[in-house]
Amino acid sequence: MTHKLTRRSAAKGLAVSAAALALPTIGRAQAKSVKIAMIAPMSGPWARQGQLLRMGADLAVADTNARGGIKSLGGAKLDIIYADAGDSTEKAKNAAQRLVADNPDLVGGTGSWLSSFTLAVTEVTERAQIPWLTLSYSDAITNRGFKFVFQTSPTADWQAAQTVPTALDLAQSATGKRPTTVGLIMDNTAAPTSFARPLREGGFEKAGLKLVVDQIYTPPLSDATPLIEKVRSAKPGFLLLLTSAMPDCKLVLEKLDEFKLSHGKIPLVGNGAPFGSPELLKTIGPELLEGMLFSVANWPMKGQEEFIERFKKKTGEPFLTQDALCGYGHPAILAEALEACGAADKIKVAEAIRAMNLTTGPAAHCFPGPIKFDEKGRRVDVPMIFAQWQKGVPVTVFPADLALATPVWPSV
Amino acid sequence: MTSFVRRDSFTSSIAVKIHDMPGAGALYRRAMPFSLVDFLQALAAGVLVGATYALMCVGLGIIFGAMRVINFAQGDFLMVGMYAAFYLATAGGLSAFLGPSGGPIVAAFLAGPIVFALGWLLHRFIVARVTGAGAAQTEGAGAYGQILTTLGISLILQNGGLIVFGSAPTGIRTPLSRSSWEIGDILLNQGRCVSFLVSVGLAVAVYLFLGHTRQGKALRAAADNSQAALYMGIDVDKAHRVAWSLGVGITAVAGGLVAGSQSFQPYTGFDFVIVMYAGVVLGGLGSILGAFWGGLVIGIVQQMSTLILPYQLQNTAIFIVFLLIIFLRPQGMFGRLSERT
Amino acid sequence: MTSSLAVKRQLWAIFGFGVTVLILMALLHSDYFELVLTQVLLWAMMSLAWNILCGYSGYFSFGHAAFWGLGAYTVALGLIHLNLSPWLTIPAGAVVGGLAGALIGFPTFRLRGHYFALAMLAYPLATLYVFQWLGYQEIPLPMKREAPILYMQFADQRAYVVLALGLLVITLLISLRVENSRFGMSLFAIKQNEPAAEAAGIDTWRWKMLALMLSGALAAMAGGLYAVVLLVVTPEAVFGMLVSAQALILALFGGVGSLWGPVIGAVVLVPLAEGLNAKLGDVLPGIQGVVYGIAIIAIILLAPEGVYWRIRDRLARRLREPAPRATIGVALPAAPRQSRLPTAGKDLLVLRDVSISFGGLRALDGVELRVPEGGLYGIIGPNGAGKTTLFNVINGFLAPERGTISFAGESLVGLRPNQVCHKGIGRTFQVVRAFPRMTVLENVTVGAFVGAADDTTARHMAAKALDRVGLGARADALAGGLTNRELRLMELARALAPQPRLLLLDETLAGLGHDDLDGILGAIRQVRAEGVTVLIIEHTMQAMVQLVDHFDVLDHGRLIVSGTPETVVRDSEVIEAYLGKKWAEQVAVAAK
Repeated sequence: MTHKLTRRSAAKGLAVSAAALALPTIGRAQAKSVKIAMIAPMSGPWARQGQLLRMGADLAVADTNARGGIKSLGGAKLDIIYADAGDSTEKAKNAAQRLVADNPDLVGGTGSWLSSFTLAVTEVTERAQIPWLTLSYSDAITNRGFKFVFQTSPTADWQAAQTVPTALDLAQSATGKRPTTVGLIMDNTAAPTSFARPLREGGFEKAGLKLVVDQIYTPPLSDATPLIEKVRSAKPGFLLLLTSAMPDCKLVLEKLDEFKLSHGKIPLVGNGAPFGSPELLKTIGPELLEGMLFSVANWPMKGQEEFIERFKKKTGEPFLTQDALCGYGHPAILAEALEACGAADKIKVAEAIRAMNLTTGPAAHCFPGPIKFDEKGRRVDVPMIFAQWQKGVPVTVFPADLALATPVWPSV
Repeated sequence: MTSFVRRDSFTSSIAVKIHDMPGAGALYRRAMPFSLVDFLQALAAGVLVGATYALMCVGLGIIFGAMRVINFAQGDFLMVGMYAAFYLATAGGLSAFLGPSGGPIVAAFLAGPIVFALGWLLHRFIVARVTGAGAAQTEGAGAYGQILTTLGISLILQNGGLIVFGSAPTGIRTPLSRSSWEIGDILLNQGRCVSFLVSVGLAVAVYLFLGHTRQGKALRAAADNSQAALYMGIDVDKAHRVAWSLGVGITAVAGGLVAGSQSFQPYTGFDFVIVMYAGVVLGGLGSILGAFWGGLVIGIVQQMSTLILPYQLQNTAIFIVFLLIIFLRPQGMFGRLSERT
Repeated sequence: MTSSLAVKRQLWAIFGFGVTVLILMALLHSDYFELVLTQVLLWAMMSLAWNILCGYSGYFSFGHAAFWGLGAYTVALGLIHLNLSPWLTIPAGAVVGGLAGALIGFPTFRLRGHYFALAMLAYPLATLYVFQWLGYQEIPLPMKREAPILYMQFADQRAYVVLALGLLVITLLISLRVENSRFGMSLFAIKQNEPAAEAAGIDTWRWKMLALMLSGALAAMAGGLYAVVLLVVTPEAVFGMLVSAQALILALFGGVGSLWGPVIGAVVLVPLAEGLNAKLGDVLPGIQGVVYGIAIIAIILLAPEGVYWRIRDRLARRLREPAPRATIGVALPAAPRQSRLPTAGKDLLVLRDVSISFGGLRALDGVELRVPEGGLYGIIGPNGAGKTTLFNVINGFLAPERGTISFAGESLVGLRPNQVCHKGIGRTFQVVRAFPRMTVLENVTVGAFVGAADDTTARHMAAKALDRVGLGARADALAGGLTNRELRLMELARALAPQPRLLLLDETLAGLGHDDLDGILGAIRQVRAEGVTVLIIEHTMQAMVQLVDHFDVLDHGRLIVSGTPETVVRDSEVIEAYLGKKWAEQVAVAAK
């Protein structure tokens, strides 16, 4: 009999202490502040991205409050809570559930960078009816028929449809010739896969391009030799790089240099913010990166010069990237929505976001094109941004009205 | 009300899936055989990459051969070696002092003793309690303890690394990583060639140490039959400690060499664990020579598989070879078949 | 194999556990807490599934994520492509998991120990890459607004707790059943000493395969429900190393090879990890991993076999040892399998020209042997002579390159060890590995399975065997507390339990002191008197001289002398083999 009691009470005791860990330790006062959240990876392999998102968000919240908070709520301060999405979808979901359970007064949130984390987190936030903004651009995120999820980046499909023709136009205006062959090197994670699918399904043909190198690898890349060997033999007119992880970028770029295909021999067009990361600069150096073009959903644009300087000074980062920019922009959008609906009510905030059409203001300032969402939660009328590495800094070069520098099409 | 819409019917979804299958187009087009240049280039890449794998495997092989311990933290010691080399090269001034080409190489070498010391401490205070003589009394001869302990060490190293080193991927800048020597149409990456030479040299040194020095022979005796070794006056515990520290130190040097070619972050270690285990098993558990060749073969398989398989299945090819070897010749290339009942 | 009272206690414990969980769930109503609780239960189930194969049989698998992932993808793909509800696809996942277990087991069980574990490591990771290649990077489970319950999508998280609890209780009951049946005992025997188990008649391959298939099926179901709870399936999340490691860690921490160990591991470690993430995740990113790692190491240093065993051993020491059981008075049911017509004098075991080499070494060279029924024959020889090899060949562990072995007229060559045992040959091993935490009776019962159709008969046969060797009074003692002599007797009883006709004793007398020796010799003589033929390997002459009818002397794989003890002892070849040429010459001189 003693055995049974020992086991049972032990199990009970452990469970109660586990529950104690789960309960919130601090009770926050409700009055005079409005709560939003950010769930991002702060530990684990993507911790760097979470760190950048957080930098932007902190700045946004500080700026909003410095301006007097949410005026339509009587100057209520914006309050942001962070949760660590960790290194797995399970941890991300737990973080989301914890956040939602501990903070029933949450009116909105943003996160979680990695599209699988975003998928898991939004399953929770959708059921809790919390409006959620994300920069992840996998189409699955907004294909689920959810009402409370808003993607500020255009979908991969759309990005692919914009990137290739624009690159060709750039080439034509710079050199007078349009490339007719293209090489594609990509990893098989979700974002590049959704980007490449429409291209393979006719996108390339429509742009008059023949795909002469088509290589997909599983990250992490061990050695780029066999990949670049194919590029060397096929000699495409330009190379489309969809290598989402920085270490893989480095291997590919250095191997291109080794095979004497860099410095404009084969123009490089990438997609995604990792192509503009400071880590890339630090590990590869500016000469190899010079002239590399990449399309990205969001990048520091004309009109943000002051903000860029302020950011650099505050954080010590060498330049502003998409992560920090969206990290700033998303809380800004939430602040605008709060301002518009005048209530600390998550349903009303969601409605305000759906009804939004911002072209001015601190939130609109952060994104190309108007802040306007369709019924799926996707942005409409968004111009594709192109940035290019020039003298060790990736600067926006297209579209012209948002550019901070003029584009060059690399040639030998 | 929008419900989830993907292609509804089963057959069309299958068709889409195949069409979607990345690389499927490439597969069809690859009915044509590869060129000789492609072949030789892939072979060269495989050998060069394989050399550092081989060195990593030698490190793991020493530990496994001497202690019969599956060290889950081996990849994380590799990572520590990478960071050690990085800091020696940059903050330690080696790159400045010896030049950007030579500095990283010496830094890689010096990472070895640093991680050797770390391994020594870890063994003395933690690992020894769950391996060798210390664990002989418990059921399974302490096998459970070993697994959990090395898993725990792995967690500590990875996450501790995050705290200490930060999350941003980093790498050692060296001009060798983007220059190559040319033999006809074949390009041999200089950085990897140097790593190859260092790896081979170090592996030979280890082989000689184990075969011809007193300490080395003591290690082998302790590995073969720790009871008998004890009776003959060999300090088995010390022998294990040397084996452990040497093993992680060698792998750390390999890490330092890789650090010049690839970027890494605190969680990089795991990517190499599979390669290391496949290599050691392939070569034969308990054989250093085998571990070296095993690692080399793994590198070759990894790079040359891209000639016939989709690039994405590179590592699957490793597993296939790994499994084939285990089934057809479980003692590996150089290992011994007998295990005491 | 515990008594039915102990089984009843376990059932009550399972019931109590279930009730506790439900009460907790009712008291602390929070979505977050329910999610964590669901995860605790799912991981407990996964770890229990792992335990069924690995904890019980000792075949460590580092790749159980393969089953978990297959179960998860069965649910996800079933829902997306075929619109099948998880109510169907979770059980379907069990079938998938079981089949995968069979497929994996066929090739992989040819391996042992570390090789097996590492091979298992490869499967989920290879599958991971394949799934990525197939394009299944991220699969969200579609939200079914029209008929959510039909698709296992509950608004109230408590439903998932109940589902997970249900599956866990099923797994606990299955584990309990396995532990208390010959299935479980066979697995334990395999863990202790697989060759001995084989020699005792246990069909090791069959039980291992069953264990793997069962383990795979349960793990797949857990993975299926996991997919339903997580709502997003990615290859890394379900096939990754972290999943396999988690199953392992929980079981090893909690107490590997026990019913409650994995549950304890899950109940402690899963909330701990989550709590660390919650409290420390954004404070100092990474510190939660460090703390968790330190916690694991600390516990394993303190309790190397897991929390459960540590606690149980402590408690067992405090409880009194049960009173010695009176000798069994129940009539023994059913005659032994084979009718024994003692044809005294007729050759029972005949070896002709048996040879085998290892590499270049001739381990056995043309050995001839005839053992008559009812005889007590000894095989002696210096170390390395090939004595144990001879036994291994008779037993079926090794196949002779040449020669024949016949037992009661039937050939033994080519039979597997458990088949050889089935024919009526029992064997003891040099190193006695007992189950220290089980009673002597339970230890011996393992040997009786081969001869008994059901477990009760096996126990009776075991009890009888214990009486035969004179250890009946200690039947309920824990084997861990036996003396050397008692251990040898127990081993003898185990070999005798299925009532073999021939008993192969492998250095049973080695290293025994004078008093102990007498006891064992007495038991052997008694056994022979009851009609069992005995073939005994020994290294030392002295004890054997008084015991055996006949000696066969092996040296370097060859039979050099064969005869009565008196003739053999004085034979110069024997002296030369044992003591060297010099001695032989001296004796020859002295004899003149």
